[in-house]
Amino acid sequence: MKKLKRVFTYLFLSVAAIVSIFPFLWMLVSMTNKSVDVTAGRLIPGTHFIENLKNLLDQTQIGIALWNSFVIAIITTVLTLLIGSLAGYGFEIFRSKGKDIVFNILVLSMMIPFAAIMIPLYRLFGRISADAPLIGLDTLAAAFLPTIITAFFIFFFRQNTKMFARELVEAGRIDGLSEWGIFFRIYMPTMKTTYAAAAIIAFMNSWNNYLWPLVVLQSPNKQTIPLLISNLGAGYTPDYGVIMTAIVIATLPTALVFFLMQRHFVAGMMGSVKG
Amino acid sequence: MREKLSAKFWLLIVAILTAMVLAACSGGDEDGGDETTEGNAEGITAWAWDVNFNIAALELALEHYDNEDFDMEIIENAQDDIVQRLNTGLSSGTMNGMPNIVLIEDQRAQSFLQSYPDAFYPIGDYFNTEDFADYKLAPTSYDGEQYGLPFDTGVTGFFYRTDYLEEAGYTHDDLVDITWNEYVEIAKDVKDKTGQAMLSLDPNDLGILRVMMQSTGTWYTTEDGTIQLEGNEPLQMALENYKELMDNDVVKLNSDWSQYLAAFNSGDVASVPAGNWIAPSIEAEESQAGLWRVAPTPRLDMEGAVNASNQGGSSFYVLNIDGKEEAAEFLGETFGSDVEFYQDLVQEIGAIGTFIPASEGDAYQFENEFFNNQQVVYDFSQWMEEIPQVDYGMNTYGIEDILSAEIQQYLDGKSLEDVLSDAQAQAENQFK
Repeated sequence: MKKLKRVFTYLFLSVAAIVSIFPFLWMLVSMTNKSVDVTAGRLIPGTHFIENLKNLLDQTQIGIALWNSFVIAIITTVLTLLIGSLAGYGFEIFRSKGKDIVFNILVLSMMIPFAAIMIPLYRLFGRISADAPLIGLDTLAAAFLPTIITAFFIFFFRQNTKMFARELVEAGRIDGLSEWGIFFRIYMPTMKTTYAAAAIIAFMNSWNNYLWPLVVLQSPNKQTIPLLISNLGAGYTPDYGVIMTAIVIATLPTALVFFLMQRHFVAGMMGSVKG
Repeated sequence: MREKLSAKFWLLIVAILTAMVLAACSGGDEDGGDETTEGNAEGITAWAWDVNFNIAALELALEHYDNEDFDMEIIENAQDDIVQRLNTGLSSGTMNGMPNIVLIEDQRAQSFLQSYPDAFYPIGDYFNTEDFADYKLAPTSYDGEQYGLPFDTGVTGFFYRTDYLEEAGYTHDDLVDITWNEYVEIAKDVKDKTGQAMLSLDPNDLGILRVMMQSTGTWYTTEDGTIQLEGNEPLQMALENYKELMDNDVVKLNSDWSQYLAAFNSGDVASVPAGNWIAPSIEAEESQAGLWRVAPTPRLDMEGAVNASNQGGSSFYVLNIDGKEEAAEFLGETFGSDVEFYQDLVQEIGAIGTFIPASEGDAYQFENEFFNNQQVVYDFSQWMEEIPQVDYGMNTYGIEDILSAEIQQYLDGKSLEDVLSDAQAQAENQFK
């Protein structure tokens, strides 16, 4: 009886695993096939990988797009973590009268969809373009500035800070550390797993962000990876082999970041559940 | 020790971050002059989609343009991305970063022209509108002014597999100038005798209804923008034909573009009634060379219907910003009047324009081996001149969203009158 139960458990898990892995497998296989074979659903690896890669390099500036995506994603991740954790730490550790009201308003702002603030935001960047060309329209700075402060990460860090032992703060103060020192030397190292989890989420969000970079980045040398892939698929006769190659290249960095931080990520997420 | 390490680590992070911010900003600086399009005539930009088609056409035009002072940057954007960018830019009233020339699909053009009338520059003085196919002019003009320079035609054809149709007992002559009713009968025969489906359709894409309707010169809306679904006879007849096709199991359903392409590339359907731009996708399957031909599009079985229709096609527009005169001149001298350019366009890119004088050139007489030595391009250019003119109005795609939900109920047995009157009521509510 117990054995039978086991068989079913494994059977179920196998089916679930196949279902979730299949799209990746198909993507990898399609990368090596001609467009016609991809549309016909061929599942056997082919011999066209080099050709697809060559076409991709010829047709697009994927190197520049990768660089742009990296710059935006890394700056966004670092600034998001810094600002989000400072705010979350402040909300939880310091005492202030109206902080819960402010915090609730902040959390409510998570309900506003980005599409609703996009046009005012675009106007804003359009207005400052003439005076501050470094952060105006069509600059990488314009692509990441609106995304570095998000209510979600402040919320995320505040919840996780609930696990952080206040006694450490007291101890730091007694030993004469400044408030900044407590934050950088005690809080940050202790909350490593939370930072890792937040880093993965922030990096992936930024890496996959499409709508805002689309409207704000106009020249081809500012293109990010999602925009490049969107262009590839937009022809009357799209080359699916090339598209799949581009998608694999675009997926690698997020996969890499995830695998590097996987252990911390799970721990960090568990932390926020407990909190 | 540990503390020192972490201090160094943070120093490193800060250094990397600073370097990247500087890199990001210097990148912006480089283009800082470019983006403020106000006042720089040299930096003409153009937005279009599809590298192998529209972008290639613009590059070819640039080669043919005899003006050394003219320099243009051609930027590739997916069509949906162009729509999104234009809508965001124009509705925020910021012309910063907008291109000088932009390609817009004909069926979408009115929504831009009517929503942002001041954003576009009338270019009717830069070319002779009479040189272009009639049906292109209504969608590209607004309020008596010509805003678009007509580019490619979406003239449709009835692409079919000669082997399947022969097996079912049909010759080319049997397929010329037929009605959609006859098409349905042929489809049933093909299914019986060869077991193949006649065509592939995506239930969420009503393109084929538009093709049927336009063969009579009718649309979802009248010229003054009134929605006419209820009592629209061509639409009714088109829907009846559509239901016939669906009910008789002669349609291979698809759910996206790649499946649509696969249906004919893998030999699962006997015909493809679609715009001429599908030809390169058909030709992509080299093993089927010689097995395809093109007949004129079927028409609806009613008075005034012709065997010619349109699906897709787009035109160039000039935005009302600095550099507009240069941009309009460029378009007028190339797409607007250069017969030679159109010959190269057909030969090198396979794009058929709507410039009528071009069809007498040599390139148009080319016999295409893939299509049994048929003069495909010439045939298309002849059918193009017969396409009935239709005003696509502002809400084609919006109305179609409503209609496609109703059509599912029609296929499930709801009466045609109810379907159309319900759709009419919904559309009137939504687009008042």
